[in-house]
Amino acid sequence: MTSSFWVRFLGNPRVLLGIIWLALVVIGALAAPLIAPLDPFAISGKPFVRPMDGFLFGTDSLGRSVWSGLVHGARTTLLIAIIATLAAVAFGGMLGALSGFYGGRIDNLLMRITEFFQTIPSFIFAILLVAVLSPSATSVVVAIATVSWPPIARIVRAEVMSLRSREFIQAAVTLGERDFVILFRQILPNALSPLIVTGSLLVATAILTESALSFLGLGAPNFMSWGFMIGAGRSFLRDAWWLVAIPGIAILLTVLSINLVGEGLNDALNPRLRTP
Amino acid sequence: MRLVRRLVVVAGLGLTAISLAGLPALAQKRGGTLVQITQPEPPTLGSYVSTANPVGQVASKIYDGLLEYDFDLKPLPSLAESWTVAEDGKTVTFKLRAGVKFHDGKPFTSADVQYTFMDVLKKVHPRGINTFAEVTAVETPDPQTAIFRLNRPAPYMMAALSGYESPILPKHVFSQGDIRTHQNANSPVGTGPFKFVEWRRGEFVRLDRNADYWKPGLPYLDRIVVRFIGDTGTRAAALEKGEAHIAGFGAVPYNDVKKLEKLPNIQIVTKGYEMLSPVVELMFNTKKAPFDNAKVRQAISYAIDRKFVIDNIWFGFGKPTNGPISSNFAPTGLYSADVTNYNVPDGVERANKLLDEAGFPRKADGIRFEITHDITPYGEEWRRFGEYTQQALAKIGIKANLRYEDVATWLKRIYTDYDYDVSSNHLFNLADPVLGVHRAFHSRFIRPGTVFVNGVRWSTPQTDELMDRATIEPDAKKRAALYAEVQKIVVDQAPLAWTHEISFATVLDKRYRDVIVSPLGLFSSFDRAWRE
Repeated sequence: MTSSFWVRFLGNPRVLLGIIWLALVVIGALAAPLIAPLDPFAISGKPFVRPMDGFLFGTDSLGRSVWSGLVHGARTTLLIAIIATLAAVAFGGMLGALSGFYGGRIDNLLMRITEFFQTIPSFIFAILLVAVLSPSATSVVVAIATVSWPPIARIVRAEVMSLRSREFIQAAVTLGERDFVILFRQILPNALSPLIVTGSLLVATAILTESALSFLGLGAPNFMSWGFMIGAGRSFLRDAWWLVAIPGIAILLTVLSINLVGEGLNDALNPRLRTP
Repeated sequence: MRLVRRLVVVAGLGLTAISLAGLPALAQKRGGTLVQITQPEPPTLGSYVSTANPVGQVASKIYDGLLEYDFDLKPLPSLAESWTVAEDGKTVTFKLRAGVKFHDGKPFTSADVQYTFMDVLKKVHPRGINTFAEVTAVETPDPQTAIFRLNRPAPYMMAALSGYESPILPKHVFSQGDIRTHQNANSPVGTGPFKFVEWRRGEFVRLDRNADYWKPGLPYLDRIVVRFIGDTGTRAAALEKGEAHIAGFGAVPYNDVKKLEKLPNIQIVTKGYEMLSPVVELMFNTKKAPFDNAKVRQAISYAIDRKFVIDNIWFGFGKPTNGPISSNFAPTGLYSADVTNYNVPDGVERANKLLDEAGFPRKADGIRFEITHDITPYGEEWRRFGEYTQQALAKIGIKANLRYEDVATWLKRIYTDYDYDVSSNHLFNLADPVLGVHRAFHSRFIRPGTVFVNGVRWSTPQTDELMDRATIEPDAKKRAALYAEVQKIVVDQAPLAWTHEISFATVLDKRYRDVIVSPLGLFSSFDRAWRE
């Protein structure tokens, strides 16, 4: 990553906006116990207190602070999304690399497995997994990772296949380098940029999936999350708009920011878009 | 031509004015269609094999029972004109109404009664198997007499003879073929005020007026259409606009009920659930430490702020309680308020004291012990109740982790594997404690695999005996005394913590009158309902 990358990346105003919002969310999530000392599940006031009336963002139907929920929810939502994405990238990347590097029968087998997972509608599959595993933080991570890895495998496979036939790889083969050394030292570093872009966008999808699962009541029951807040508040939409609007806006801005940053990364890393 | 038309209109208006002025304000009128919202769509219309709530809401219009009931749960004549219970309680003779016809035109006789009880309800009805266990024979000396012979007295049986609980079936239709899978389950033939016409799956069931109904002049309505609307918001909107006229049993969420109540065209009725009487309870796994200790169970019962739960989770539709028998049984004398009162302002202090005494002091982190609380997977209010319970337990130093599973897994965990610490549920009291209450803590109901029974696995020989005596005690006063003692013991021992009675709310269009006229509410026949 040269300095020209950073100039192109940070010089993009949309990327900057995205990074600022994401930084706020990450700081909020890290500092949750300091800036929102109330337990997000604790009944700490009267129910349905309006925003700015003693509570920054009001309270929900049981009198739980929405501000606490938002900040602690950011923790859950981000943590689950990031872990699930890392798992999906690791697994999908590994499968794609093996598939693209060895080709032939291995490729055939691994890609049929990938297709099998790709043909199942991903959200329905995630619901099924969580229902079968019974809702908990682990099962939500497993479900999101399970439905997210196939595109990663596809992308990595395509990259590896194209790099596999380049001269420098041929040279490494001729020099007698072992397979995994070639794969990890030579090929993967060169396939990294599409992986980073897809991975960052995958975090956004994971946040949406986690929120949707929690909305349906299939989230981790002992962790506050944004989707859960919307799910619990939706029956009061007409009387207490803030229960749905505040976590809803948080999801919207976060997902949008990740997309902006992801696109910025893509623009900055793509050599074809480089201005001379 | 135009002049003539105008004259006709004027004359018509005049006539309307005269008829409005000439009639008393509340005279019942013939005609009109009632649109009832039932949620979810019933799986079958065979109310003799399924006690699922939506089934009863539809089938009760088609089938009559031997008896009806008033709001004090006293029996009234229906297909049985009169009845006598023998001194020893072991013979009950019903005089049946003459001239009653089924919807297919065939007459109703004592043979139908015999068939219904001996061949259907005793064998395949989920509750009938228990309710009519003592019935050994139904004798039919003549077409208008049915004599029930009982092994032992069964006073509770007289409370279970409504068209909802024990629908009278035509023998000539249902006796052919297997009753469990009978083709007429979904094209029912009864004696009730409305005839089955059509069931369009996913949309509606249409029931039309039975012109040959045995009650002279009834029913008033021409038609009942039972609609199935999957979306909560759409259900509330249909009621708000007057496209649908009645919905109950939580088909409309409580906070929406509150909103609809303010509209001029809608009224909220909480009567009509007196023969169901759901009581919410926390269940303790009494065979597992620390819940084998009564003090721990009592402490938790003290820790629940009933008013908070009713006001904020059930939006005011409830009544605080301490014991298993609903206060709806007060008119019959079976309800007793002479029990330990856990609903006290200093509940948290008492709970903390009890836990200290029980040998569970707070550790350095303020926690006495850690448990798992299984949330009842019945929807939003149960989820909130679970989250509230977690907070209430935190106040007395018990750390509760929540677990949420689908209904089938949860039922298996609680009633088959007994692999839980604390959970919550609500059991219907039904028409009599023998039918709805014994199952929660009688040793006979510790049955792995059977749901909604004694999942806490608690019983004592003393309470078992009291309940067994109450089961066969024909004298109402003595029976009440036995139940008073049972309530005192179980509330003190707290194998379950009973927190509140749920009041269901029926949303009703004000143009419809005399709809909820019995303790069975939406499970009654609507024969007297009429439209203004």
